[in-house]
Amino acid sequence: MTVGTNEKLSLKNSMTSHFFTTERKDSLSRMMTIAGFFALWQIIGMINAHFEWFNPTFLPTPVDVLGAALHLHDQGVLFTHIWSSTWRLGVGFILGVVIAVVLDFLIAKVKLVQNALEPLINIIGPIPPFALLPIFIIWMGVGELSKLTLITYATAIPMIAYTVDGIRNVNPLLVRSALSLGANQWQVFKSVILPSALPPIFVGMRVTLAISFSAMVVAEMIGAFSGLGYLIIDSRNFFQMDNMFLAAALIGVLYSIFALILSFIEKRLFKWRQGTQMNDAISK
Amino acid sequence: MGLVVKDVSKSFPSEHGIKPVLQDITFESKDNEFVCVLGHSGCGKSTLLNMIAGFASPDDGLMTVNGEQINGPDQERGVVFQEHALFPWYTVLENIALGPTFQGKPKEESQQIAKKYLALVNLEDAADQYPSQLSGGMKQRVGIARALANEPKILLMDEPFGALDILTRETMRKELLNIWMHLRTMVVFVTHSIAEAVHLADRILVMKQGKIASNIEVHLDRPRDAKHPQFLSLVDELSSILIEEKARA
Repeated sequence: MTVGTNEKLSLKNSMTSHFFTTERKDSLSRMMTIAGFFALWQIIGMINAHFEWFNPTFLPTPVDVLGAALHLHDQGVLFTHIWSSTWRLGVGFILGVVIAVVLDFLIAKVKLVQNALEPLINIIGPIPPFALLPIFIIWMGVGELSKLTLITYATAIPMIAYTVDGIRNVNPLLVRSALSLGANQWQVFKSVILPSALPPIFVGMRVTLAISFSAMVVAEMIGAFSGLGYLIIDSRNFFQMDNMFLAAALIGVLYSIFALILSFIEKRLFKWRQGTQMNDAISK
Repeated sequence: MGLVVKDVSKSFPSEHGIKPVLQDITFESKDNEFVCVLGHSGCGKSTLLNMIAGFASPDDGLMTVNGEQINGPDQERGVVFQEHALFPWYTVLENIALGPTFQGKPKEESQQIAKKYLALVNLEDAADQYPSQLSGGMKQRVGIARALANEPKILLMDEPFGALDILTRETMRKELLNIWMHLRTMVVFVTHSIAEAVHLADRILVMKQGKIASNIEVHLDRPRDAKHPQFLSLVDELSSILIEEKARA
């Protein structure tokens, strides 16, 4: 009998603990994975440094990479590189998104613009933007202009394609509803068309953010004197593997920060979508 | 004055040439009148309502409100949609305040008006909720409050309770009647429920195949008793018109 109660108790305990700690367990095991990854990397690097299976310079350990970061910081260039990349990406990405969204609204609204732009985008769109970088450099020089142009262009072209359908698909019932409440054209745009276009715009932004980052790195690898992409190329010339790993890692961190900002804005903007997502179909 | 519809026709292109939807529709309704448009689905009753709302224009004929021709949607003709058509990104209160805001009223005043109409439909507690958090009946109440907040001359309702369950439907019918007795705005109410029409209407327009088959004035006292002999005889009369129509078709 005591065994029975104990069993019941432990069952109850495991159930409540399951309910209350699943999330914590999840994040714990995720953190373990990350820590394990770095530990394994460190250990393999150290063993290799000892036995010299291959040249240890090829695989710097996480500690070496941290050392490189400190070294660059001492030289006073670490944050210069990070900041160069950040503002290039920020400006290029935002500019690309704004241009794409404005063009999307024009394409969706004005037939003339649609007929003029769509065929153009169809012939230029398939060309990978990076193929155009040398042309941009010859036209605009090796300064910031050619880099920003590449990032903006690489953002805008896919953004237009990803978003235009979402912007076009406004529920006509809502437009009618606004009109019969006495809305003028601008009010219809502001309270119906724009809010219903925002979710697809954010989907487009999330997808194109990765493309913008690639464009930023490539632009900095050719004819630049600062930025994380430049750091990779410059370090390759001097065979500083630890700096190259550092730059790659920093690009990853930067991307995560930008993605986090995007999803933060999304959460604030789309409070009204609670209870309308797939995960809300069944509550657990 | 009120609403005047005279010799209105409308047709839509279809696979088999041009399909007439409405033919020679003529009726008048006074201010303060509750008009029900009753008919099977596909009889053209929603098309008629959409044209009064200004979402479509007639091919032929004349439609006027207080002597002025209908030309596009306008805040003097408020619409309640079957699919409620609330703006999902606005809270309940913001949805209702939208009409006054569109009219250029300051935010404070619009909110006051919205609160007044929110109270009228008994939804004060839901003011800060989003439409996705409401039940079907609550959404429709918000829809009614939103249309009324503009103080329209005519309230157009396109099967507003069609998507609700039968119990909610009856409650909503009673509440709508209370609101209407209080405000006495002209209502044009499209429905396919005979009982609903007899419960609500001063005037019932029975539509069959794009024409008005019957224009009946109802003089029963409100609230109406579904077991009253006059109520029952009117229901019989209407169903014979509609079902005879169906048998012939």
